[in-house]
Amino acid sequence: MKTKKVLSVLLAAAVMSTMFTGCGGGDSAQTGTQSGTGTDASPSGDSASSGTGELKEFTAFFAVPGTEINDDNEIQQMIADMTGVKVKETWLTGQTAQEAVGTLIAGGEYPDFIDGSDGAAQLYDAGALVALDDYIDKYPNIKEFLTEEEWDKLRKEDGHIYWIPQFSNIYGEEKATVHNDEAFWIQTRVLEWAGYPEIHTMDQYFDLIESYNEANPTMEDGTANIPYTILCEDWRYFCLENAPQFLDGYPNDGSCIVDPDTLTIIDYNTTPTAKRYFQKLNEEFHKGIVDPESFTQNYDEYISKLSTGRVLGMIDQWWDFAYTANDALKQQGLDLKGCNYVPLPITIEEGMKNQWHNSGGVVNVSSGLAITTSCKDVEGALQFVNDLLDQEIHDLRNWGVKDVDYLVNEEGEFYRTPEMRMQASDIAYKASHVCTYSYFPQYSGTSRDGINAMKPENQPKEFYDGLSKNVQECFDAYGAETYVDMLGTSEAPGPWYPMYTYSNGMTTATEGGMAWTKMGEIKHEYLPKIVMADDFEAAWEDYMKVYEECNPQAFIDEMQAELDRRMEEAAKYN
Amino acid sequence: MEKMKKNKVKTSVWDKVFVVCNTLFMIAFVVITLYPVLNTLAISFNDGTDALRGGIYLIPRKWTLKNYITVLQKQNLITGAYITVARTLVGTLLALAANAILAFIVSRKNFLFKRGLSLFWVITMYVNGGMIPTFLLYKSIGLTNSFWVYVIPGMFSAFNMLVIRTYMTGIPDSLEESAQLDGAGYTTIFLKIISPLCKPVYATVALFVAVGQWNSWFDAMLYNRMSSHLTTLQYELMKLLSSVSNQGSSAEAMKNAAGTVTPTSVRAAATILTMLPIVCLYPFLQRYFVTGLTIGGVKE
Amino acid sequence: MASQEKKGTVTWKEIKKQKVLILWSIVIVAYGIVFCYLPLGGWLMAFQNYRPKDGLFHSAFVGMAKFKQLFSDDTFLQVIRNTLAMGVINLVVTFIAAIVFAILLNEVKSNGGKKTVQTISYLPHFLSWIIVTGILHDALSSSGIINELLLKFNILDKPLNFFAHPQYFWPIVAFANVWKETGWNAIIYLSAITAIDPSLYEAANMDGAGRWARIRYVTLPGIKPTIMILLLMNVGNVLNAGFEIQYLLGNGLVKSVSETIDIYVLKWGISQNDFSIGTAAGIFKSFVSIVLIVIANQIAKKNGEERLF
Repeated sequence: MKTKKVLSVLLAAAVMSTMFTGCGGGDSAQTGTQSGTGTDASPSGDSASSGTGELKEFTAFFAVPGTEINDDNEIQQMIADMTGVKVKETWLTGQTAQEAVGTLIAGGEYPDFIDGSDGAAQLYDAGALVALDDYIDKYPNIKEFLTEEEWDKLRKEDGHIYWIPQFSNIYGEEKATVHNDEAFWIQTRVLEWAGYPEIHTMDQYFDLIESYNEANPTMEDGTANIPYTILCEDWRYFCLENAPQFLDGYPNDGSCIVDPDTLTIIDYNTTPTAKRYFQKLNEEFHKGIVDPESFTQNYDEYISKLSTGRVLGMIDQWWDFAYTANDALKQQGLDLKGCNYVPLPITIEEGMKNQWHNSGGVVNVSSGLAITTSCKDVEGALQFVNDLLDQEIHDLRNWGVKDVDYLVNEEGEFYRTPEMRMQASDIAYKASHVCTYSYFPQYSGTSRDGINAMKPENQPKEFYDGLSKNVQECFDAYGAETYVDMLGTSEAPGPWYPMYTYSNGMTTATEGGMAWTKMGEIKHEYLPKIVMADDFEAAWEDYMKVYEECNPQAFIDEMQAELDRRMEEAAKYN
Repeated sequence: MEKMKKNKVKTSVWDKVFVVCNTLFMIAFVVITLYPVLNTLAISFNDGTDALRGGIYLIPRKWTLKNYITVLQKQNLITGAYITVARTLVGTLLALAANAILAFIVSRKNFLFKRGLSLFWVITMYVNGGMIPTFLLYKSIGLTNSFWVYVIPGMFSAFNMLVIRTYMTGIPDSLEESAQLDGAGYTTIFLKIISPLCKPVYATVALFVAVGQWNSWFDAMLYNRMSSHLTTLQYELMKLLSSVSNQGSSAEAMKNAAGTVTPTSVRAAATILTMLPIVCLYPFLQRYFVTGLTIGGVKE
Repeated sequence: MASQEKKGTVTWKEIKKQKVLILWSIVIVAYGIVFCYLPLGGWLMAFQNYRPKDGLFHSAFVGMAKFKQLFSDDTFLQVIRNTLAMGVINLVVTFIAAIVFAILLNEVKSNGGKKTVQTISYLPHFLSWIIVTGILHDALSSSGIINELLLKFNILDKPLNFFAHPQYFWPIVAFANVWKETGWNAIIYLSAITAIDPSLYEAANMDGAGRWARIRYVTLPGIKPTIMILLLMNVGNVLNAGFEIQYLLGNGLVKSVSETIDIYVLKWGISQNDFSIGTAAGIFKSFVSIVLIVIANQIAKKNGEERLF
């Protein structure tokens, strides 16, 4: 009897909730107007206090981790004075992008600006975004931001454009100094010790590390060197996983190789090169060259190893280690002892062309800055985006305030004193002074003045001054001036590039997406095992067997379809 | 006589051994549990870049107050602190009252729906409609962008109810019966007879609720994201720290966020700062149950 | 009189007598329905291909497909095993640790010492898992203190990488839980101990009972109701073995033992844009929990112990 009672209570609750949420759903359908007034209520209050009476306030949510700036941020205020607009930015906290976007959609209430990141497709699906194509022509800076072809790439199935990719847009001449991407890195002390040899293959690379480590097993202070380490925590396991595509001389398409001649998709996980690469790692592991903690360390431990200068070499992406580890090395004076990293142009065989570094930006079509249906002043919002791309404001965002954050010499060249550079990296200073509007459209490359770089980190002089003596020496020895020169630059391989913009958006809803997720899971588990295995051949066979069970062909077929589609799209422009 | 004396000597020897062992155990326990806290403390006073190298145990290698300054300079911290104190006070009082009343009702031996009501709440511990339906509900009843979302939804909790109920069940029925004979109603029994005896358990539950309230930030983010005047201390700190958490992050997102990463030492400073007030609260509540409030007298 | 009511005869007289209680109950049940039961409408999601744009009422129904998808996946079964195993190990270990600690602390005679130990013991509760796992990683690394000690005492001849071996994962998680939560969990028992009538101790002393006998015959029975209630509650929680700690301590090599239901849901549900899978897993967990507590409750009832309902 009791259970019956409970059941009936449950049923009643379920029925009631049905009605209840039903009403809620209805409400959110008429959404726009209601929530619009809601968001507008606060700006009017704020603008009154600021005194200008003209100031428009917008809200923005970016579904990525980021740091909030203070409300009274100085540069933000300066930009507000110039444009009449202030944007309150919020970032992802403690949720995944999908969760955050999912709740926003359920509630039917959005900020004015949004970048849904991994959840961008959901926002489009939900009809939460304003189509921008009718507006774009009215705003010269926005119009200029992308080429006609690039704008067309952004069109969704319904033929409209909903978001503007903010990054990797190069204005004028590219001023690449840092190789921000993946490479085999090696400490300059190793190269120096060996007399700056030419290192072109994986075997040469490991031979060099081995012989250096044999001759110098410890650092000056007696700490043992770690010859080679591999980071493979969670999504960061690209440091282990995707080298075969580069070793075969292909660029970072991310999830696969595209053969540029036959325009077919190749799975880099099963190539002979992949096997050779993992076999090499396996050998080096047993020789004690590969750090035995490679597969169990977390990111913090990895960074702390790099920061002590003990690690001779590794594969990683520059942004993943350099911003943190380099500061620590410098602080201890280890940069003067050759503990900084430079990239090497490594392929599987001698004489192959490497494509570790590609010139040109990659327009990421899978997400970008969008304006939502909750925004009551779409034109005002776009005007602001347009204004942000003005050179003066762009400089303010990236360089800061003249004479405070940077100086200008007689030739009109921007430069910073060491104190300014120090200040620019201070967290508190950033929060109170610097406002980059970092998830709004921005350029890299050369400024419209033709002299300076759009961003300080790309300014040649800035870059050079920041280098340690050892790195300079190393560059000299190889006839290089920048990190990029160490590798050489290739053009983007073709109009499909890069394929990862597609695979990043795959979900388990499709067969290919399902296979892709499973392949990832299997690789996470088996790659460390085959590197550590006593019997490599047997382990590799095991791995291949399980790998095949994931049905990788489904994934490849889907990628092939996307490749064909992209080529077809591109053909329209030739 | 002789035998008894021998027995006594034996026990006292064992007693001494026990006391020594127990003391040693307690010391070991304290060392082991204090270590992570002291380690965090040391890192919080250490230079951020230097801390990256690791190897800091109990003493900072490169002293600095910068981490604390960074945290304390965070804007909205004052607003957040206000709201957090308010929600902790209001939330604790409401939850304590609510759960005490509920526990009182279900611990009445004669209450007709005793089992039904208990079951009704016990089930809530194990079911959960999920984030989105809950969000829709709160939105439709006007709890979003409101202070009340912090204190109303979590007011009743089966766990706290059960803790209080267990305690109340231990109070002899004779007290209630004699009060009833004197003509006291349930309200009087609850306020005048039962509650004064429940101080230790009330203190315990108050502590649980207060700590929960103090530490929570998810609700601030989910329901009051757009109302910065309702932000909480922990949410502000989470925002400061979220750039380090890499859960569910992707290479694409990190690439563009690179350089904004908050150092471990700032995280440590934030942890210490939020721990302090709630740790200070403890001694006040502790006296209710460590010194042993004697209710034995009335229990007979 | 009491026996009469137990049979459940609802008389007007009785209702009138309990009207205050009933009125309050109605208010409380109304609250419970709104805040705890209404959101369960969201369970519909598990039977749909839920898409935020369509909401709960316009998403396509797929029947039991999501459950089938879950249970046809070998990994999910493995994940259930891991969750259950860690849930049970953690339950037993943390439970015993807290009780033992509370009792031993109660035996400390110095009041100041007692207070100090207690205050310190519950501090780790306030540290986030990121910090605690960071310290654990440090201590268990090949140059960490544990390996150093093991080498020193010749228990090992070369450093052991604890996180590379699946067999150490569950014990490490259990230890971390004990480390972080024992002091905190003990609070409840300490407060229960204060409710024990001091005269019972006096009587025991008079009978010449030793320390052990006092614990055995006075303290333990005194906190038994609390122990029983917490045990029953936690039995229902064995499938909530956690997310963060396994996520932070896990790696590819121990994946087969480290992944819990919550991690699985994040990977295959939420980060794949599939909210329905998560809901289905949630319903499964709820179902198991309720079955477990009903069974446990029946057992308690049969043995005349304190029970949940």
